[in-house]
Amino acid sequence: MRHDYWDRYSRLDSLVHRRPAGLKAAAALAVILITVIPPHPPALLLAAVAAVLLALITASRIPPIFFLKRLLFFEPLILTVAALALFQPGGFPKFLMLIVKSTLSLVTVILLANTTPFYELLRVLRRIHVPSVFVTLLALMYRYIFVLADEMQRMRRARRSRTFGRRRERTWVLLSRIVGQLFLRSTERAERIYAAMSARGWK
Amino acid sequence: MSVFAVDVKNLGFRYEDGHVALRDVSLAIGEGETVGLIGPNGAGKSTLLLHLNGILPEDGRGVAAVWIHGLAVIKPNLPDIRRDVGLLFQDPEDQLFCPTVFEDVAFGPRQFGSGEADVEDIVRQALAKVGLSGFERRSPHHLSSGEKQRVCLAGLLACRPRVLALDEPTRGLDPRGKRLLKTLLRTIGATKIIATHDLELVAELCTRAVVMDEGSIVADGPALSILADEDLMLRHGLEKPHILRHSHPH
Repeated sequence: MRHDYWDRYSRLDSLVHRRPAGLKAAAALAVILITVIPPHPPALLLAAVAAVLLALITASRIPPIFFLKRLLFFEPLILTVAALALFQPGGFPKFLMLIVKSTLSLVTVILLANTTPFYELLRVLRRIHVPSVFVTLLALMYRYIFVLADEMQRMRRARRSRTFGRRRERTWVLLSRIVGQLFLRSTERAERIYAAMSARGWK
Repeated sequence: MSVFAVDVKNLGFRYEDGHVALRDVSLAIGEGETVGLIGPNGAGKSTLLLHLNGILPEDGRGVAAVWIHGLAVIKPNLPDIRRDVGLLFQDPEDQLFCPTVFEDVAFGPRQFGSGEADVEDIVRQALAKVGLSGFERRSPHHLSSGEKQRVCLAGLLACRPRVLALDEPTRGLDPRGKRLLKTLLRTIGATKIIATHDLELVAELCTRAVVMDEGSIVADGPALSILADEDLMLRHGLEKPHILRHSHPH
């Protein structure tokens, strides 16, 4: 997986990219709240939100196909959760509403992540006095998630290159072992990172 | 008070699992020396380096056994010690923990309380020193091993340490990366302790070599005469580097 999977376009230059990070974060939060909070938002409101988002996407010069791909990645999750609504009486409109709301929120977040470099978002969080431990945690997660993904890929590859029996790979068993290994390795790595942070004055 | 840049006296260390990593290690290094720390895997080289700025023993327990420029490595002194001793870890991936190169190099100076304007200056200078100007916004994940190693070094230089403790600095570097790193290390004036298996690096860069095995120092002397002592080298899982074998005049 490429390390810029989530924010590949965050360093482009466009009208949207040039706005200050704080403004964009606040606007994104506002859009999500407007979309999510009203229990029965008028269709017009949702359409307006969608129109604004579409306009911003166009102005940001991010290829629309990128949005489609990232949406497809999450849509199964949204569908699963939304499908629960189908079991209620009169659930179908609720089901649709959930999908529309979630999709709009998701597009907002993808747009924010791809028009604002992550470290600038972190700076905004720091400025509004989000606890520093939390911000540090986010920064470390952003830094290491792809290191872990790479490590996992290397382990799977190594495993596969030594799997030559006729029996098909028992995927779940294999996966659970790899996840266990990954957990061990990442706790060890965490200790080394902590040592490196202490070495440069972290208290 | 000691005048040595690094003074280790009768240092012993046992890991929590009972493994004894250091036995009665004593080592004095003068200001400006470049010392190669060599020995087989598991000899205690990395453990010794971790003691130089108080990462080990954890929580600074125990009595002082290490002094840096006369200052004992004990808990109350750790902020000063850590600023004075730059420690380069084996795996750059562990050391570069910030989302961008800039943030990473700025980490040290910020911890030590420099103002933002100064920090920017310091970072720019440190990156220029390692030849990576313009890398500020890059993500560490996407750099080559050589570049990662040099960003790590910039992060240390940004704290302006007088002592550099480097753990396997050339590990995983291609020949060009090694050459760049060696040239770079030559230009840095600090006292340097380099733990490494790269014996050519020791031959080229170090004035003095210290051989460790099974947690003890077994030899200490001028780098070239230690490296040329074939018996000694073989006895401790090392070998006389090629560069010395073939440097006779033709």
